[in-house]
Amino acid sequence: MDAIRVHRLRKEFQVQQNREGLGGALRDLFDRRYNQVVAVDDISFAIPQGEICGYIGENGAGKSTTIKMLTGILVPTSGEITVNGHVPHKEREQFVREIGVVFGQRSQLWWDIGVIESFRLLRKVYRVPEQAFNERLNELVERLQLGDLLTRPVRKLSLGQRMRCELTAALLHNPKILFLDEPTIGLDILVKSEIRDFLLQINKRYGTTILLTTHDLQDIEALCSRVVMLDDGRIIYDGGLDELKRDWGKGKELLIQFGQPCSPERLRALTADLSVTWEAVNEFTLKAWIPLEQANLTEVLGRVMTLAEIRDLRVLEPNTDDIVKEIYQTGAGKHV
Amino acid sequence: MHYLSLFFDYIKIYMKTKLTYRSDLWIEIVSDLLFQGLNLLFILVVFMHTDLLGDWTRDEMIFIYGYFMVPYGLFTAFFNMWNFTERYIIKGEMDRVLTRPVHNLFQLVLENIDPSSLFGALSGVVIMVYAGTQLGLDWAWYDPLVLVLLVLSSMMVYFGVYVSLIAIGFFTDSQTGILPLVWNLQNYGRYPVDIYNRVIRFSLTWVLPFAFVGVHPASYFLKKGEWQLYAFLTPLMGVAFFLLALWIWNVGVNRYRGAGS
Repeated sequence: MDAIRVHRLRKEFQVQQNREGLGGALRDLFDRRYNQVVAVDDISFAIPQGEICGYIGENGAGKSTTIKMLTGILVPTSGEITVNGHVPHKEREQFVREIGVVFGQRSQLWWDIGVIESFRLLRKVYRVPEQAFNERLNELVERLQLGDLLTRPVRKLSLGQRMRCELTAALLHNPKILFLDEPTIGLDILVKSEIRDFLLQINKRYGTTILLTTHDLQDIEALCSRVVMLDDGRIIYDGGLDELKRDWGKGKELLIQFGQPCSPERLRALTADLSVTWEAVNEFTLKAWIPLEQANLTEVLGRVMTLAEIRDLRVLEPNTDDIVKEIYQTGAGKHV
Repeated sequence: MHYLSLFFDYIKIYMKTKLTYRSDLWIEIVSDLLFQGLNLLFILVVFMHTDLLGDWTRDEMIFIYGYFMVPYGLFTAFFNMWNFTERYIIKGEMDRVLTRPVHNLFQLVLENIDPSSLFGALSGVVIMVYAGTQLGLDWAWYDPLVLVLLVLSSMMVYFGVYVSLIAIGFFTDSQTGILPLVWNLQNYGRYPVDIYNRVIRFSLTWVLPFAFVGVHPASYFLKKGEWQLYAFLTPLMGVAFFLLALWIWNVGVNRYRGAGS
């Protein structure tokens, strides 16, 4: 069964256009002009239960707008959404009981009161039975090491501490689907990887479907088997991370360390017909870029080995960062 | 039932945060009472120059004022959303409210409880009792129940007016100055409407029905013949405005656009 199904979803905003200067402002007072902005442009996708799906795109691509429609905060202009068998904005109160939401930029907790009191209040709001709540809380507190944070008010927490509490708050009622909008924004590497591990574990143990938006492609690589890429309100890629790398990663990078000094010219001559590019890192080490359409790895390595002794060899996987950059630069990509 | 128990849980927590700012709480209570005292003084000063206003005596006016303070105090204690547009729409805190499984307006009310205003309601009761004994009003056994009903109705009138006005924020996405304007108008409800001209009288009864938070329901206890009919209208007006406001609000929420990313 699909946890999330979206069909031709569309959201338009009316944006007021302000004229320039004071005179313009005065004219705006009487005669306003509006611009119709399409934030999400007829997108369709489905996410099966238990999947971790990454939702990526540049700023303003429509990621947050989509998430807000999926969580029932915004009402779509047109199109259909089914999340967990509900239409989010129509049966809001029923629906949100089974989802968890974390917005990285905005706190879900009450600012002034202690963390544990926030949790207790959320227990009442979500009607979680006392015992189930305590078990769940203990597990989360232990896993995310919240022990000594519980009595502090939320406003006194650091960003990393707060994010761990936000995750706990979003999971207390054991939601079937977890929406994360930039959950790792502004966090240090240690906290980031801790949160990634945690999300993976939650997904494995409870089969929680997770949809996350992020700018950090390492999040995607660590977590997601599936990527939906958005540009200008449209989906430009929807598929596995591996296929993304295969289709868009057009070559492999090779780092070779030789036993003796080696000049790039000699190697270039050797592989002239394969259009491999060589670059010297230092006297002994060279970097090769092999376009996979025209050459294969064994061929290149076979030729190089006849030339000199190889001390060390490393194949650099195509980096998601570069791939994404390339997809955006070439514009459309393949429209789905 | 669930909502009722939630209500008490919220109150407990909010009382706790309020009590941590103890001096704030006292200042709020004292300034609130001072403000009400000043209004009362104004009535007394007026009646030093005349015996009757319209055909209302000083003690009747004071009684009306006492009644006025009760729904007013209760309403402001449980409804404190004057910065709603700023905080929830412009800053986007509504996002959080909308992802919780409790009706959003109920959550908002709970999040903005300000129990210090309850003191105002309490002093209103004291003033009513004082003015009532001065007037020699006799209370039937059911009158306290009628009082509860009328106070609840008046609160619904307040709710209806202010929720409708606050819901405007969903449509404009920015602050409007209309709230403080109406807030000032409500004070006219605590004087007998027949001292005003006809347009104002009509508006205070049917358009912005602030007469139903003061003079109309209070006149039930004063046994003022022709005005009693209006007293009985109070619950109807309350329910009508309450439902209207809920409807406007629910339409408004569907137009909520969120803030920023």
